[in-house]
Amino acid sequence: MVISPVHYIVAPLLAAFAIALLSKIYKNAARIVPGIVLFYNIVISLVLMPQVLEKGMISEVIAGWEAPWGINLVLTPFSGFLTTAVSVIGFAIWLYGYKFKVRLQGGEVKYYEILQMMMIAGSLGVIITGDLFNMFVFIEIVGITAYSLTAFYRHRDGAEASFKYLLIGSLASIFLLMGILIIYTQTGSLNMAQIAERMPMVPQTMKVTALIFFLIALGIEAEMFPMNGWAPDAYSQAPSPTSAVFAAVVSVAGVYALIRVTFTVFDVEGVHQYLIVMGFVTMLVAEISAVAQVNLKRMLAYSSLGQMGLVLIAFGIGSHLAVFGAIFLMLNHAVIKALLFMSGSYFIYNSDDKRLIGLNGIHKRLPFVSAIFSIAAFAIIGFPPFSGFWSKFYILIAAGDENMIFLIIGILMVTIIELVYYLRTVARIYFYKDEVEHTEHKPSINAIVAMSFLTLFIIVIGIYPNLITGYLHQAADSLLDKASYIQHILK
Amino acid sequence: MLKKYIIFALIAILGFYLASTFKEIPFGANRLGDLNDPETVSAFYLQKSPEDLHVANAITAIVVNFRGFDTLGEVTVLFLAVTGLTSILYRKEEEEDEEERLSIPSSSLVRTGAKILFPLILVLGMYVFIHGHLTPGGGFQGGAIIATGFLLMLITYKTFFTNHNVMTWLESIAGLGFVIAGLYGLIVYGSFLQNTAWTGNLNDLLSGGLIPLIYIFIGLKVGTELTSVLDILLNIKPRKK
Amino acid sequence: MMEFSEIFFKYKDLITVAVYGTAIMLIIIGLYGVLLKKHLVKIAIGLTIMDSGINLLFVAVGYIQNGTAPIFSPGHEGDAIRMVDPVPQALVLTAIVIGFAVTALALSLIIRLYKHHHTANIDQINSLKW
Repeated sequence: MVISPVHYIVAPLLAAFAIALLSKIYKNAARIVPGIVLFYNIVISLVLMPQVLEKGMISEVIAGWEAPWGINLVLTPFSGFLTTAVSVIGFAIWLYGYKFKVRLQGGEVKYYEILQMMMIAGSLGVIITGDLFNMFVFIEIVGITAYSLTAFYRHRDGAEASFKYLLIGSLASIFLLMGILIIYTQTGSLNMAQIAERMPMVPQTMKVTALIFFLIALGIEAEMFPMNGWAPDAYSQAPSPTSAVFAAVVSVAGVYALIRVTFTVFDVEGVHQYLIVMGFVTMLVAEISAVAQVNLKRMLAYSSLGQMGLVLIAFGIGSHLAVFGAIFLMLNHAVIKALLFMSGSYFIYNSDDKRLIGLNGIHKRLPFVSAIFSIAAFAIIGFPPFSGFWSKFYILIAAGDENMIFLIIGILMVTIIELVYYLRTVARIYFYKDEVEHTEHKPSINAIVAMSFLTLFIIVIGIYPNLITGYLHQAADSLLDKASYIQHILK
Repeated sequence: MLKKYIIFALIAILGFYLASTFKEIPFGANRLGDLNDPETVSAFYLQKSPEDLHVANAITAIVVNFRGFDTLGEVTVLFLAVTGLTSILYRKEEEEDEEERLSIPSSSLVRTGAKILFPLILVLGMYVFIHGHLTPGGGFQGGAIIATGFLLMLITYKTFFTNHNVMTWLESIAGLGFVIAGLYGLIVYGSFLQNTAWTGNLNDLLSGGLIPLIYIFIGLKVGTELTSVLDILLNIKPRKK
Repeated sequence: MMEFSEIFFKYKDLITVAVYGTAIMLIIIGLYGVLLKKHLVKIAIGLTIMDSGINLLFVAVGYIQNGTAPIFSPGHEGDAIRMVDPVPQALVLTAIVIGFAVTALALSLIIRLYKHHHTANIDQINSLKW
């Protein structure tokens, strides 16, 4: 059997249905099976990526009906790159959460592992699908798992955060369905490539209406202002590995859906300016709010929103270099933010005061974790020699190429704001006095391995960015090349 | 107060916007196009369903075969909803005092009637999903009918309990059956969920290849899952796993 | 006695307004319920009403004049010309089930919230501050 994109979805599904049966036989099956599945996803990525880079695109049909009559799964260099990144980070997060002591505070481990694995599988589905309604179904899969996981803990305000997330997510679904409906009546098809081909024939008012609905719906998923009120609550109330998955995987899938729909399916003028403006507003509001936070996880959540705003700005600028920088930033943000959440949650376990004050002097008790947190913080601000520097650098150059001086000023201002609140936290960790005696939860070996691996990535790419710039250039090319997308699928 | 008016205004704007958009979409206009040279997906499906697949119910053919991947996702959504529901309402044995299931004592008419109707409803549900490719209906509709039967029993009798082990087993096996049927298509024919070549004649019970089989799996799965949801929401009491 | 198609033509605008208008009104009422009501269960009901509205809109768009159900029952095998659009109906099947799953989750969250805060008023369940 040849490895094909559908394995990304089928393997987690098989495992999810089987875990319920397996865990009756072997108690620890629920913890191990997701690891096997996520590792298999990495194997799939490594097998498929060379083919994608060589042929330009892989399009796999489901149920034997050629596109556009059936559903097809598409791996372009862009989506293939993202799926590889998501698979690797997903596996690292699983490794980190392997001995996660859920039984202290919550339900059975089995539910947690199934939901988390399916959240990653659903995001992968959003990225590789080539059909609008299929994208809706996978977004719902991500949504349902996310709502359940946010409310996983009993004693915190998880249920409230989850309920708000659920309401906003349902609004997104309704708007998405309305957009899909309008597009279907005008073009008679649900396949992204065919819709892109027929889009010039759609009357302008219909096009704009549908686009507005899509932008609202996918903007909620991609955490664009003003529809991202759900994100800080959800990120801070979820269990720690889940927050890492939210930041690294779910937001990547949401942004990918938004970008794919605006760049490839629609051809309306003015979308790019809209992305720049909204991304800018998102970034400013989120970063300024981050300064005012006293809870570490909420601060990290607002910082995530800000980074996503920057990604949207970069996509909005639209030149090859800007898109290259945007994809680079998406990758960096996924790795770094996952790392920040992973290390940050060890801080929270080990301190009684959940606010930032609880971090005073914690480097004495958790030296390794503190070092990793600091490296990640420097990376996301953009200090060389870490990988975060290159992504911001390229985006600034791209903005300069287009003579968008106000953007450069804005991004630099935001970088200074990030400096303030991240360095403030790092200073607390290292330079403040620790008053109280605490119990210890040292990180276990699997968490150390997972975090070191991601840190290594940040450092290595920071020093030798050319290791991945080739792939990134191809990914950027494939996104901007709408004609070959249509042609390859509808041949 | 001000916030209320703003939201009212926004909702009204949305309503007018939607209305003006849909005025442009004529009601009842033929959007299918030429059926012999299909340009829209609907025309293609209507043409291929009796010819290639030998399935009488075109919607079944779409749901299970042409867009079977969506159905797979939807079955997954149901499964994940039950999982999420269990994890949200999970009870450790020592927590909270026991709560009984809320039900109003039913009259003898209801009790006898429920006992008679319950097996009939189950049979109707199974008929609907077994014949999904011939008559209107299918897995989801049949599953919903089965769940309604269970709901009747759950409301009428305070002591009627469903067996959780049986539910879990049925659910998992039905789900695995669906995925394995798809894998069979992948291994033997090269694409996931592709139908077999033995499609029989139109309007036979055994027509359509894998489609009735998959729909039976879906019917069982949906029936057990909807029943589990009702059971969990009605029973807020520690359960023995 | 006029035939159905003649009646349809005469009152075409009215029927269009009635069908689309009902669906859009359902969406609006549901949205009003979700955004402006205070009681948690009313918000959940608003959610289901919105789902019903959008599903109705889907099916309404699929109607073709003088169309019949897209089932090739014995004796009607050649009837593909006169059938309504089957695709929106298939999409609605999926959407209904997904809406049901989300509603079930919402209700379970309401149960949890009620047990924790002993109130079902969303203004009082606001411990997650800015």
